[in-house]
Amino acid sequence: MKDILTPRERFGMLVIDEKPDRCPVIPLITSHAATVAGIKLKRYYTNGERMAKAQITAFEIYQHDAISIFSEVGLIAEAMGSEFNYPDDDLPVLKKPALLNGLHDKIIIPNPRKSKRLPVYLEAIKYAYRSVGDIVPILAYIPAPFTTGMHLLPPEKFLIETLKRPDGIKIILDTILDVTKEFCFEVINAGALPIIVDPLASGSVISPAIYKDVAMIYEQKLIDYLHRFDFDVILHICGDTSPLLEYFLQTSADLISLDRVNMLKALDKLSHKIRLIGNFDTTTLLLSNPEEIHKTAGMMVEQLKFARKGYIVSTGCEVPIKTPRENVMAFIKAGKEKGWYWV
Amino acid sequence: MKRTYKVSPKKIGLRTWSKQFEKISTETISRYRYYNNGEWGIYLSPPATFMVYGMRELKRLKFDNSFEALRMWGFVFNETERLFRAKQIGKKVIATMGDLGVVPILVMSFPECVPFYPECLWWTPFFKESTELLDTASKLGVPEATCFSRAVVAAFHKKAYFPKPDLIIASTGASCDDYSCVMQTVEDMGYEVFWAEIPYRKSPEFFLNKPKPQILEKTKEGFVYPKILEEHLIREYKRIWQALFKLTGVNNPHRLVDTIKKINTLRRLVMGIKRMNEEAPIAPIPALELMVIEFGNLYGYADFDEWLEIVEMIYHLVKDRVAKGIGVLKKDAIPIAWVTPSADPYLLNLVEECGCRVVTTEYVINQALVQIEEDIEPLRALARAFINASLIGSTEERIKKIKEKIVKKQVKGVLITNMLGASHCAMETRLIEKLLSDVPILSIDVPAPFGITQQIKTRLEAFVEAMR
Repeated sequence: MKDILTPRERFGMLVIDEKPDRCPVIPLITSHAATVAGIKLKRYYTNGERMAKAQITAFEIYQHDAISIFSEVGLIAEAMGSEFNYPDDDLPVLKKPALLNGLHDKIIIPNPRKSKRLPVYLEAIKYAYRSVGDIVPILAYIPAPFTTGMHLLPPEKFLIETLKRPDGIKIILDTILDVTKEFCFEVINAGALPIIVDPLASGSVISPAIYKDVAMIYEQKLIDYLHRFDFDVILHICGDTSPLLEYFLQTSADLISLDRVNMLKALDKLSHKIRLIGNFDTTTLLLSNPEEIHKTAGMMVEQLKFARKGYIVSTGCEVPIKTPRENVMAFIKAGKEKGWYWV
Repeated sequence: MKRTYKVSPKKIGLRTWSKQFEKISTETISRYRYYNNGEWGIYLSPPATFMVYGMRELKRLKFDNSFEALRMWGFVFNETERLFRAKQIGKKVIATMGDLGVVPILVMSFPECVPFYPECLWWTPFFKESTELLDTASKLGVPEATCFSRAVVAAFHKKAYFPKPDLIIASTGASCDDYSCVMQTVEDMGYEVFWAEIPYRKSPEFFLNKPKPQILEKTKEGFVYPKILEEHLIREYKRIWQALFKLTGVNNPHRLVDTIKKINTLRRLVMGIKRMNEEAPIAPIPALELMVIEFGNLYGYADFDEWLEIVEMIYHLVKDRVAKGIGVLKKDAIPIAWVTPSADPYLLNLVEECGCRVVTTEYVINQALVQIEEDIEPLRALARAFINASLIGSTEERIKKIKEKIVKKQVKGVLITNMLGASHCAMETRLIEKLLSDVPILSIDVPAPFGITQQIKTRLEAFVEAMR
């Protein structure tokens, strides 16, 4: 079938509960775009124009349904004072959290237009929006406060403090929330739709209780902020979130992007209220062959395409950086073929 | 109407609007809803929201900074969603094409029927700074030489800009002939179209020395017309009424009387706003917002009651500003008349940036501005109102009206925005230029989306210099 709608028109229909020509196909092509564009990763995540150009190159080749402005979730923590290493061929690695010695250490309140790599993202958004924003949505992945918190303190310490000194953690998370909102403000005014990503709030990392009492509260607050603008908010949490499914309804997210979850259960529990996104296994995408990927992805789409509130064909997590191009193409092809709605 | 905060009037950009938006409480945001639906009917969003969803021109437009204008823009930009939601909740969505002003009044007189004008989509490529719809129309057989309203063909094809209409009422005859071709193409695409005919308003001279004398009438606006024209329109409106009756199973003429009253209320408010704008020493509201208000008269942007409230709110805002002697432009801005609406909204900004002020307009929707008589049979009243249409008569008559406005409003110059391909522009603009020779005139061919160049800006500056 030949596409009738542009990705933007397609996404626009989905969020008003209408069936577009086909399901949007949005594999989480983030840093993988650097591979597609043939540039070093460090260039990708330190230069906004490069990031945008790589994303546009990937879009031109793959013809998927969104541009994803993102490299990694340490972005806001970095602007707040955490130190990172920046390898040429890999993503930044946390070197020294800002609150290494405890909650009394100093954190920086960043200027979202100037601090560290925040302007890199804004520049990337502006460039992409200017170039292709009329036909394709520009999505900017924003780390949720909980995930940023895990980059401001050593992660294990952050989790312990959550239990031992919840009030202290709350102060930190409140501060992060304010910073995140300010960054979202800039992202919006640059032209992108913020997607909240909270990978470290995954069921693979924390208990349902901590999710409910800490991480979710800040997801909700951020979503409330975005809802004031009347945005349709996407929440992405990777890993196994099966124990958290019932809480997702409480986040008030409009779309939920899932990873290692039984999607039929998600369909049952969530799809009357939330649009589903996901959840093709990224290891299969990296290691399998195009035929197998096409077949498996096609089966997934056929199972999920009639989710009540709508469905976006996607990967469970980011497309691995070195994934062969043919594999991604096979995935997208399956999504487009099997996700067709119109007669 | 209570406003949530007070600001000194000025024009502001998108980012400043977003900052200002942060001062508005969540409670206020949730108070404004279309179709009174709390789940999805909220529409009070800043321009940035719509920019994120693809309205790229909003990044460079300047808007009135009032809460009232925010409400207006949020509502107007929400129309696509509103039409789909209308259908989802069981309303009937009726496409009214080509007549610009009367058929929606008939539609609104039937329960749960929502009229809309597909041709208003001609602004979409410009707001999006995108040729997508225009290119698609070309691929579907409506070439580049057709006016920007060809975007409608693409919209019908894509089904993403409005739901499949329950009824399409297309008016042809003395309407824009490019648009008639667009409507025919829509029919060729497989849509069933209910055709109505708009007759031409022949000038009185035509009837002189004819073997069969005609009874001539005169509208309150001063247009002379043969009585048979009125009768013809009534026949056409009766046919439309029957089609709507067939669709809905309801036939209640009293509703038409009520609808006319409501429409007149809106028209009074809009004319009041226009009058205040014309007479105030300082422009109380920008030309762009004024154009949106004026076009709202056509059908209320698919939720008439909500639109009426919005316009009422703006009316009080303008009244307040005029009383205080404050406004959005400099006092020495040069008053001009604007003839034919611009497909590109940015031009309205640009003209004001160059030092002009739009005090009067002739946007070819005169029929949607006049009061409808309430003391005669309603269909006749509609016919008489429609006969005031700008496009159905001679250019000479149109020019006469423009001349009257020029003298009355003491305008210093006339700006004409042409639509490439629109035949009435091609036919009329030169004549208008010729017959309005006593004031400086600038006519601009509105270029394709994102096509306004330095050359146009220079011409505007020269126009301003000529008027000073």
